[in-house]
Amino acid sequence: MTQPVMPKTWYVPSKPHKFCPGCGHPLILKALGEAVDELGIQNQTIYGCDIGCSLLSWNFFAMDSTQTHHGRTTPVMVGMKRARPELICVGYMGDGGGYSIGSQHLVNSAIRNEKVTLILANNTNYAMTGGQLAPTTLPGQKTETTPFGRDPALTGNPTMGPEMISSITGDGAYVARGTVAKYRQLKGFIKKALQNQMEGNGFSFVEALSTCPTNWRTNAKQTWSWLEDEMGSFYPVGELKSPFRKED
Amino acid sequence: MTYAQARIVEAYIGEYASGKSELAINRALELRQTSDEVTLVDLDFVEPFYTLRSLRDYLQQQGLTVIAWGREDSFGLGETGSLVNPPARWVMWRSGHIIIDVGYGVHGAASLNLVEGALESPELKVWAVINTGRPMTSTVRDIVDYVTSLQRVDGLINNSHLGDLTTMEFVLEGLRVVKEASQQLNLPVIYTAVEKALEPDLRAAGLNPSQIKGITRYMPGAMW
Amino acid sequence: MEKPVTGTRKVFMTGNETVAWAALAAEADIMFGYPITPQNEIMHYWTRLGAKYDRGFLQTEDEISAGFTVCGAIIAGKKAFTATAGPGNTLMQEPFSMAEAMRLPIVAIIQQRGGPSSGTVIYSQQEVTLTTYGGNGEGHRIVYSTASHQELYDYTIKAFNTAWKYRFPTFVLGDGYQAKMREPLEMYDPEARNLEIIKPSPMVGLPGQIGIDREPQHLCNIYSLEEELYDVVLKVQAEYDGIIPELVEYECRECDDAEILVVSHGVVSRSTDDAVMALRSQGIKVGAFRPITLRPFPSQKLREILRSGVKKMLVVESAYGQLVRLLKQEIYGETVPIETLLMPGVGIIDADIISKVKSLIQ
Repeated sequence: MTQPVMPKTWYVPSKPHKFCPGCGHPLILKALGEAVDELGIQNQTIYGCDIGCSLLSWNFFAMDSTQTHHGRTTPVMVGMKRARPELICVGYMGDGGGYSIGSQHLVNSAIRNEKVTLILANNTNYAMTGGQLAPTTLPGQKTETTPFGRDPALTGNPTMGPEMISSITGDGAYVARGTVAKYRQLKGFIKKALQNQMEGNGFSFVEALSTCPTNWRTNAKQTWSWLEDEMGSFYPVGELKSPFRKED
Repeated sequence: MTYAQARIVEAYIGEYASGKSELAINRALELRQTSDEVTLVDLDFVEPFYTLRSLRDYLQQQGLTVIAWGREDSFGLGETGSLVNPPARWVMWRSGHIIIDVGYGVHGAASLNLVEGALESPELKVWAVINTGRPMTSTVRDIVDYVTSLQRVDGLINNSHLGDLTTMEFVLEGLRVVKEASQQLNLPVIYTAVEKALEPDLRAAGLNPSQIKGITRYMPGAMW
Repeated sequence: MEKPVTGTRKVFMTGNETVAWAALAAEADIMFGYPITPQNEIMHYWTRLGAKYDRGFLQTEDEISAGFTVCGAIIAGKKAFTATAGPGNTLMQEPFSMAEAMRLPIVAIIQQRGGPSSGTVIYSQQEVTLTTYGGNGEGHRIVYSTASHQELYDYTIKAFNTAWKYRFPTFVLGDGYQAKMREPLEMYDPEARNLEIIKPSPMVGLPGQIGIDREPQHLCNIYSLEEELYDVVLKVQAEYDGIIPELVEYECRECDDAEILVVSHGVVSRSTDDAVMALRSQGIKVGAFRPITLRPFPSQKLREILRSGVKKMLVVESAYGQLVRLLKQEIYGETVPIETLLMPGVGIIDADIISKVKSLIQ
């Protein structure tokens, strides 16, 4: 039987990974791994991961990696990049880490146009803690802390991350929203976000719409439908800001 | 109304901890001996700490008009209370001598923009206080660069000292460095400030008495 | 690149500037900071000097970020540091905790101010507990409490060396008075005094090809099992205990025949020294003990002194018992009565101590 092809920069001893069946994280991380492979930057790329499910990737890659604290991956990678600009610093976080507890870091590093690449998985909930409200939870969506569905009158509307980032960051920044439903496009976005750092153009940010069947309590078909129909219609996918030629 | 003698308007400017406040106080008290109207103005905004504030009451008892926040006025306003005291803005409208203590900061003499009419006044003299014991103004080159960055300076004052460890040799070496810088800057050296105890030594060393100003150090008691 | 400090030089400075110069002399590469009184001039002077000596600086969005950017820079292998005070110290306990757990040699200068918020920003000794044992860890830290500008210079340089040698977060605990006060000191090139400056080393971005020359670095401070964490903490604790004898520093004045022992730290110890001199001249048998390292605490030495005839101990601090608590846990079992002079958030002068000592012998 043929084994699935893994990116070269996946760390084999830590596989099989611990993400739930149907989780979107491994797809995002596969896209990142392949992008790193294609760019040939395994040895100079430093991977930092946040707390929450993204933490499960702390030894996911055959790349130098560091775990940080919840929301603090952004400043750790910023500090690293400032200290050694020759490194390619990639931070990986969830929607809670990026848009809630670490939002001040995300906002301010975007404004300062820090030359780092941040990838944020949006799965509309706090998953590792058991499925609570996230900044990205859709209106009406039930979570453990919005048992009757998210009411924007009480908890506001979902955070439109890339839209916010693209409007505050500087020239040369790259901002996109992809989805694990469109893997090739997502990989293209991530690759450009890395290239953008390699060229020293500016801040690079990719939000990836992702899946969480465990906390959504959905079967495969329902999961895909939630991702493509519910999330897809709320969160427009595409490049919002790019110094490169537009992705088709 | 005219004054019998032209009034004096001096601003003391310089590096952090160079002795600006000290010399401003001494100058104001000196002028007070021959004049009833002397106003001393605190214009220190960047982390004001060693400021006139805590000496305000004492200096007022000495007959000076002191425009500075009192500790009780600025306390609780947040951090050190870096706020412009409104009377300071209009101090040029007052009669009598005016001595302005300008705090340190990247804006240099531009801080005087906060005093309405000061920079436009033909009366204003801006004295840069130099202590060569301060590492950023210890060489001729550093002093020239620093004074140039202040934008406007009309003269230098040599206030070279090492606190309690000051020696006459240190003061004289400081004067040599300040003089050399002043020549490059094409500015006069106004005087050398020393604690009164060292004044006779400096005279004995051949320094012109008009170039020496014996001062009393008040600021060590001025910590907030 | 010319050296920032060559040979030895007598200068007249504020404490904050002294720290900036000392960090240069210690070959610090980059500072991350966020404005807060009374440490601001450390950043003011680091930015002015950094431009000249090619050192980095970033003003971050808050103290949490300042602490974590320092962590990132250290992981990347650069000597990074920060400086803060008061509520900034509170926010930095999170990155300090990470540094503790991941053995990141973070250096932080703490210029204590009155708690908890704004206004009372000038002076206090109320950050002793926070700096020694703050954070969700076991206090595996090293804390130097300085008393003069010379010490700010010496111990800032030492803090970088200690941190990078032992890989424990290292703090220089000053206060607003030390930050702002001005006094003469000697700046020196550490090399000219045969003081070796320990070089930093990276934890990531190492040479060699991953998978061929070396394994990837996977740094973390997560443990799946409580038992794993237990093992790690015990191991770190043993290591910490092992280096205590090399680390502890203290000062004794007139301790040999002292019947009353005044214990104080930081700038207060200068008043204590003056008080001891004055009281001795009046024939009163008083001595002074000053822990320089608050963590680890020089408990063994203090116990020895207490057992050599001390009848009463007087703890003096500008806080309501933070040093007292630290000391009590360190000398548990000693029976010398403890008296206190606690003046939270305000300065203490020799006269305060003299009258307190006299009240104890009446």
